[in-house]
Amino acid sequence: MSKDVLVFIECKDSMPRKASLELLSAGRQIAAKFSSGLSAVLIGSGVKRAADVVNAYSDKTIVVDDEALTDYGWDTTSSVLQDIVKKYGPMIVLGTSSMTGKDLFPRLAVRFEAAMISDAVGFDFEGDGLKIKKPLYGGKVISWIAPGTDAMLMATFRPNSFAVSEPGQKGEIIEEQANIRKNPGIKVISFKKGESKKVDLQEADFIICGGRGMKAAEHFSLLEDIGDIMGGRVGASRTVVDSKWRDYDDQIGKSGKTVSPKLYIGCGISGALHHIMGMDTSKVIVAINKDPNAPIFQYADYGIVDDLFTVLPALKDELKESREES
Amino acid sequence: MNVLVFVKQVADTEARIIISSDQKSLEIENKYVVNFFDEFAVEEAIRVKEALKDVEITVCTFAPARATEALRTTIAMGADKAVRIDSSKFETDDPLIIARILAAYAKREGFDLILCGRQAMDDESANVGAMVAEFLNIPHVSQISRLSMLDPGRAEVENEIEGGKKVSEVALPALFTAQKGLNEPRVPLITGVMKAMKTEITVLDPASFETPFGAIDNGSSNIRVLSYELPAKRPSVRIIEGQTPRDKAKSLVKLLGDEAKVL
Repeated sequence: MSKDVLVFIECKDSMPRKASLELLSAGRQIAAKFSSGLSAVLIGSGVKRAADVVNAYSDKTIVVDDEALTDYGWDTTSSVLQDIVKKYGPMIVLGTSSMTGKDLFPRLAVRFEAAMISDAVGFDFEGDGLKIKKPLYGGKVISWIAPGTDAMLMATFRPNSFAVSEPGQKGEIIEEQANIRKNPGIKVISFKKGESKKVDLQEADFIICGGRGMKAAEHFSLLEDIGDIMGGRVGASRTVVDSKWRDYDDQIGKSGKTVSPKLYIGCGISGALHHIMGMDTSKVIVAINKDPNAPIFQYADYGIVDDLFTVLPALKDELKESREES
Repeated sequence: MNVLVFVKQVADTEARIIISSDQKSLEIENKYVVNFFDEFAVEEAIRVKEALKDVEITVCTFAPARATEALRTTIAMGADKAVRIDSSKFETDDPLIIARILAAYAKREGFDLILCGRQAMDDESANVGAMVAEFLNIPHVSQISRLSMLDPGRAEVENEIEGGKKVSEVALPALFTAQKGLNEPRVPLITGVMKAMKTEITVLDPASFETPFGAIDNGSSNIRVLSYELPAKRPSVRIIEGQTPRDKAKSLVKLLGDEAKVL
């Protein structure tokens, strides 16, 4: 049986999210192993420009462009995605473990009685089959999970799980008409746009995170400056969010977001297990804390034991200089 | 009005977890708690009851006997009834099977409002809530941060979505998953704890009730855990030395560029 791979693409500001391009790169490896095709599906409004980008990674880019799909809703989006899956018959459907992915995929998995594996971070092959890598218990344990052999696999992956490969040969763009089914039970009353941030916390390559040691909300401007220089984002520990210095949206940890940037810098963070579980999969971890016994040093690659209020301004200059050189 | 809350008992963050030598199973230290996000769901159900009076709250879990303790905690908080659907004959991690069982129970009893946490702290999967809603053919809203009951048979909810916050009006029955910030879960009072000790907890065998949403036997699982392993360990930390904070910052940036290659 052919094991065609379909990637559900998410967009931000009409362009494909980095996490979606990562999935296409992963999907390419899977399709190569099974000698099958790789398709991408874009569902939304004004997504044709995004399709051109996506098309450099996939054999087929299926575009469903309709004004009624401007705002995501599980009801409308799942009805369209369901039709596409039915028509094209992939055996593997990949998505991002984002708010949208977590809302959408379980609904779809029921309709196809699929093997649903969510919040995964990698894959490998075992014999003729695929196995999925998924952390459990906040990353204390890694599990390897195999989907049933006859079942369709639906898997969602955390952003930053895969590297984005170089764009390849252009595929084929196919426009499909939408038959949108709306759930009559839900009426959207209002939508308030959040403060628009260039990069999502979970997609950021660079995160600088502040803890209790930051002492006050206004000191986070130090971190914001560094975040801007690096094109990354500022995160916060639970204590900081509970003290209302930062929004819950910025919280990294078990009751907040799980992140795995290339570089994570923790400032004035003691390293409670709760927080570690949200950032332990970062590629490189730096800790800045004046307490040499802070538990975070047990999880860090590099550490600076010093007063962060003297280190951060210097670090800002050094990072700025290194950015300007490169 | 009948409110159903799904809860899961999960290993505490601090619980020790040991992987068996054949890597096929886990031994979890006996430290379990009510899933963090489910506490918001229980609390919200209690607040709905306090506001509307004529409300019965049933808390339900699919779990082995140890989860009785978690159910008693929810009774102590203020839930009326607790039901444990016994999972001891099941080995499955397949969310589809768990959702079939929970949806079958919900359908049999009939509920106006179903609440659960946005995800479980142990597997962070966030699957079962939306799956149950799909089986029951009712609307759901994920990660709600506000709930107001409107009559008749409607609710207004606010939830966080990609790029902002949305307010929706939803016809009941519906399922909502709770986000942190929905409320402040109460700490049970001693009178609640006394009541919880005396409350009888219904135990159901899933084989005993009709499961109209598909097979639930172990053989129908689409998911098979092949193995468990420890995450790759980091080498021990390299503390950056230097005379001044600037020296340290300079060395760090150099190492991040030349050695770690992340700049």
